[in-house]
Amino acid sequence: MSPLGARGWVVTVGTVSVFCALPPLLSSSWMLVMFLSFLWLILAANYDVLDGFLGHINLGQGAFFGLGAYVATILLNVPTVQELGALTLVVVTAAAVLAAALFAAIMAFPLFRLKGLYFAIGTLILIFLLQVLALNLTPLTGGSYGLYVPPRFFMNTVIGYYLALAVALVSLGLNFYLSRSTLGLAFRCIKEDEDAANSIGLNLMKYKTLGIVIASLPTAAAGVLFALNSGFIDPNIALGVERSLLPSLMALLGGTGTVLGPVFGTAIIRIIETVFFHYLRLPIPSMLFFGITLLAVALFIPEGLLKSPRIKRVALFRALASY
Amino acid sequence: MARAVELIVGGLSLGGIYALLAFALSLTISTTRILNVAHGVFFVWGGAVFVIFAQHLALHPALSIVVLTALFFAFALVFQWGIVRPLLGRSVHLLLVGSIMATFGLALSMESALGYGWVTYVDPYPVFASSLAMFPVTLGGVSLSGSRLVILAFVLVMVTGFHLFLQKTFWGRGARAMAQNFDGCLVIGLNPYRLSLMLFTLAIVATAVSGAFYVLAVPLNPYEGLPLTLKAFTVVILAGVGNLPATLVAGAVLGIAEVVTSQFLGTVWAPAVSLALLFLVLVFKPTGFFGKGVY
Repeated sequence: MSPLGARGWVVTVGTVSVFCALPPLLSSSWMLVMFLSFLWLILAANYDVLDGFLGHINLGQGAFFGLGAYVATILLNVPTVQELGALTLVVVTAAAVLAAALFAAIMAFPLFRLKGLYFAIGTLILIFLLQVLALNLTPLTGGSYGLYVPPRFFMNTVIGYYLALAVALVSLGLNFYLSRSTLGLAFRCIKEDEDAANSIGLNLMKYKTLGIVIASLPTAAAGVLFALNSGFIDPNIALGVERSLLPSLMALLGGTGTVLGPVFGTAIIRIIETVFFHYLRLPIPSMLFFGITLLAVALFIPEGLLKSPRIKRVALFRALASY
Repeated sequence: MARAVELIVGGLSLGGIYALLAFALSLTISTTRILNVAHGVFFVWGGAVFVIFAQHLALHPALSIVVLTALFFAFALVFQWGIVRPLLGRSVHLLLVGSIMATFGLALSMESALGYGWVTYVDPYPVFASSLAMFPVTLGGVSLSGSRLVILAFVLVMVTGFHLFLQKTFWGRGARAMAQNFDGCLVIGLNPYRLSLMLFTLAIVATAVSGAFYVLAVPLNPYEGLPLTLKAFTVVILAGVGNLPATLVAGAVLGIAEVVTSQFLGTVWAPAVSLALLFLVLVFKPTGFFGKGVY
């Protein structure tokens, strides 16, 4: 059949159809929770392109999200773009995704001169760079007051839910492709040993740039969806530090380099967040709880859930990790 | 002219604090390879604890510093035992991922605990500032803020102390050796656990005390820790990891550049300076502005 296998197809199609059938059963607040969870999943899956496949810890994933959201919102406020009619949203989305890809390709040059720890720091600085620009280029971005999406371009959560689900599936499909293709093989080769990869003729810069561009595309689309649904963005909402750091936490918790790792990681974090802080309303700050979770994960399951030897003893998880 | 001197003193004291932050970070990164994201948060906690003792409990400032040192010494032991020690035995990639996650988790929880605790129990207005009176000093017709001068003096003392520790003591030599070659140190029988305990204790206590001095001149808020870590990273990268003299210069350059920028372009652009500097250095000289040196 295909690399996915018959059982894989059944499970995938089954899960996707359950998610497709869900919206009529959910209240509007739960729809929003699911919509945002899909957006987080897109970021986590894209984060894993660089970490799981290329071996670079990218703490700037949120920069592409924020850039996508800002470019889309800025364009939607331009009168000529508004008059394009049905094409407006297509043009805006394409422009936002292209802008993020261009930004990724340009930033690849300085960033990939760094390795390991320094790469992580360099990428973390990306998001602060965009924050400073968003705060200070007031005529364009509205500064700290933020920007509004014109009301007629608002997207309701049901449409957003399906679109986010689709983009999330594309991201996961991309990761699946990377785990099974020659391109992915080249990525993994670079992850294992850069010098060896270089000596067999792989152009490191080319593959790394390709990797960061791939990782930026769906994330920018997620940013556009977020902006259209919330109707308002400001530097804190679109470019907050947690936009960059939570996706890496999700991917690392689930297990990097596995296609389903980010899915599990995102699900666990979102369940904790939703149940404890929106449902039970614990009287402690949510970030305190997150911090402690993060600390515990780092100390006790360093490889991530799906790659942890203790969890892999269960046959079901072993099967899941193999995808 | 008077304006220029004021700007330079302001920039130097700010840059000196950045350099101190970066010193401690550079020292621990190059020796233990643990990336401590919570570094700036320790600095903010240092400032907060100092304000609690010196202001709200009305302790003598010098005594407050002693209490602060004792508290953070104990904290450093816990940090080493709970976080650094389990991480040290891991392979390079897992060590890096683990240290970022663990210290970021610690940073988030300490930050929010401080923000929440401060507003709930200490003061509804979440800013730590010391109201200790510092007389302005007049030197040759130029009036300088006393607290800035105190900070500058403190920075000089700390830098000299760090230098003497690294050059003259057994553990300082050990630290330099470890920064040069980790495996080599294992071969000659240097205990990495004991050395990292030493270095982290030193780094954490120095950082917390710097925080206490910083609030003499500039108020801090509970959520300033992570941006400060980033600033320290900027200085570390600008100078090249493990290059302490260059760290001092890079800190001073950054401090003066920020002060001058906020003077002429407005304070909002000050953070952009460090980012712009950093990217220029990454593009043209990725080993850091002064090349990679090892102490």
